[in-house]
Amino acid sequence: MSTDLGATTSVRVPRPVVRAEDPAGSDGAMVDVARVSDRGARIAAVAIALVWHLAIGLPALLGGWPELAAPTVVAAGWLAALAVGGWAGHRLLHGLLPPVVPLAAILLAVDAAVFAAAGERQLFAAGNWAWTGLAWFFVVVLWGRPIRWMIILLAGHSVIALAALIGDGATAPADLTRYAMYVYGTSSLPVAVFTGAAVIATLARQRADTAAATLAVRAERDAAERAWADRRARLALVGSAAEQVLAELADGRADPTDPFVQRRCVLAATRLRRLIAESDDVPDPLLHELRAAADLAERNGLPIELIAIGTPPPLPVEVRRRLADPLAAALADATGWARLTVVAGPDEVVISLVAPDVDGPGSTDPPATPVGNDDQVEHVLERDGEIRWTQTRWRQP
Amino acid sequence: MASAVSGDRPVGVSIVDDHPVVIDGVRAWLATEPRLRVLATGDDPDLVLRTAPEADVILLDLRLHGRMMLDKLAELSAAGRRVVVYSEHTDPATMLAALDAGATAFLAKHEGREHCVATVLAAASDRPYVPPALAGAMVGDPRPDRPALSDKEREALLLWFQSMSKASVARRMQISEHTVKQYVDRARIKYTRAGRPAATKAALLARAIEDGLIRPEEIGIYRSQASYDRPTP
Repeated sequence: MSTDLGATTSVRVPRPVVRAEDPAGSDGAMVDVARVSDRGARIAAVAIALVWHLAIGLPALLGGWPELAAPTVVAAGWLAALAVGGWAGHRLLHGLLPPVVPLAAILLAVDAAVFAAAGERQLFAAGNWAWTGLAWFFVVVLWGRPIRWMIILLAGHSVIALAALIGDGATAPADLTRYAMYVYGTSSLPVAVFTGAAVIATLARQRADTAAATLAVRAERDAAERAWADRRARLALVGSAAEQVLAELADGRADPTDPFVQRRCVLAATRLRRLIAESDDVPDPLLHELRAAADLAERNGLPIELIAIGTPPPLPVEVRRRLADPLAAALADATGWARLTVVAGPDEVVISLVAPDVDGPGSTDPPATPVGNDDQVEHVLERDGEIRWTQTRWRQP
Repeated sequence: MASAVSGDRPVGVSIVDDHPVVIDGVRAWLATEPRLRVLATGDDPDLVLRTAPEADVILLDLRLHGRMMLDKLAELSAAGRRVVVYSEHTDPATMLAALDAGATAFLAKHEGREHCVATVLAAASDRPYVPPALAGAMVGDPRPDRPALSDKEREALLLWFQSMSKASVARRMQISEHTVKQYVDRARIKYTRAGRPAATKAALLARAIEDGLIRPEEIGIYRSQASYDRPTP
């Protein structure tokens, strides 16, 4: 029987908890994926704004120069927009969001100045570059912000344009129709890009979250399957040992009054009971260590009962070692029978081993010896002639 | 409600289990105690109850023919039947659910003759008896609305669960065995406030107040329990 249990220990798989760390690492990678896809959209937005400003805005400004009412103001506005867009783009490409309020204020001021300085003749012409080009800077400056900011800025842009129209006396129905067409035509594309980018970023984040969650679930399932397979393997071994005793009893080959047979029955029953009591899908590392110690003691023929109540919180290895080691040592000295109990809550874990008090190692210890007692783990050893009692207790500091 | 047992009358016990071998085993355990008499056995609670309506205590296997009997347990307890649940299902959640449903006591099947006899005797007089497995479930109770136990009560429960020896707990806590039992029983009485009200819970509480084990205000349910009938002493 002892060889059976030797095999039991050897089929034990490595602690699944180690595997559970995998998704944590992959989780980080998944977030990186989301960040990379957002970075692509940022580059596109910055490129659209700057290319439009340089390739379309600048030639239009220079071409319309003679007809502009105050060409230097319009040019200064063009430079200011370039500076704001350049800086905001630089921040975006380095993973930072530009400050919204000051930049939005500057852009609206530039907008108003350009409209005022364009003059009646260039109001609807290409020289008034703010009509068509400025909305792209809104996209860059407002990146990653709620869509309502975009709507507010575009509304400001429309109001400024309308004010310029009224100021220049261009209030004929044809002018107002043209105004509406311009506002619609120059706003719709930037809004579409802005909204699309926001949706893509959200989707990418969701996809990353889902992937991370899937990985975590898979890791947990793998761990649970290993624990289950492990338990099944041990159940098969222990079950066959119990079957053997029962068969011998039934055949009359084993005598129920024989103390040796009685002890075999007791051992088989305790093992079965312990296996049945193991209900955790993914074994806690502390319980895992204690079970391993119990298995070891059982191989030496000690009937042992292990009862765990509650789930221990994640504990540092050092604390776990100081909790479990004294019990493992006491278990090695135990004779007759042993009762190993674990009571765990979020801020306290108490482990106890009780075995009959017989002469043996440690029999000269005075009763109730606080063996080690520091701020975190308390270790008490007690013998009262009836039982030998080892207890370790961790309390949240 | 079955009347409280007093005087020399033996305690009538019914056993409900779907394994004849278990019934025979429990019957043999109870036979060692002259104050106990088994009146009826069977695998159907209603049938057993009809056979011996005068039974003082019902020993009920929590799992009959593959089904958990928590509803039946609640029904019997609400009617004032003292039910000692005994089960191989000793996970803390099941034990606490049985207490919530109104079980007078919970006994793990492997806890043996001594605890079985003591539990049945205590139940017959509406007194608590907390075997070690139940003490473990109570001390590890993770529910946010669990009864508030004092530090001494928790410690006594914990040490009793660990050592299964009240003498050892007494030495460890440097108090008398009697006081250890008081702490453990007081903790159990505080559990009468958990779950839905049942006549059996009221009976346990009333007897505990009579015995001076606990003051009604200590569990804060004096008003809600005051309307229940007290058993005749």
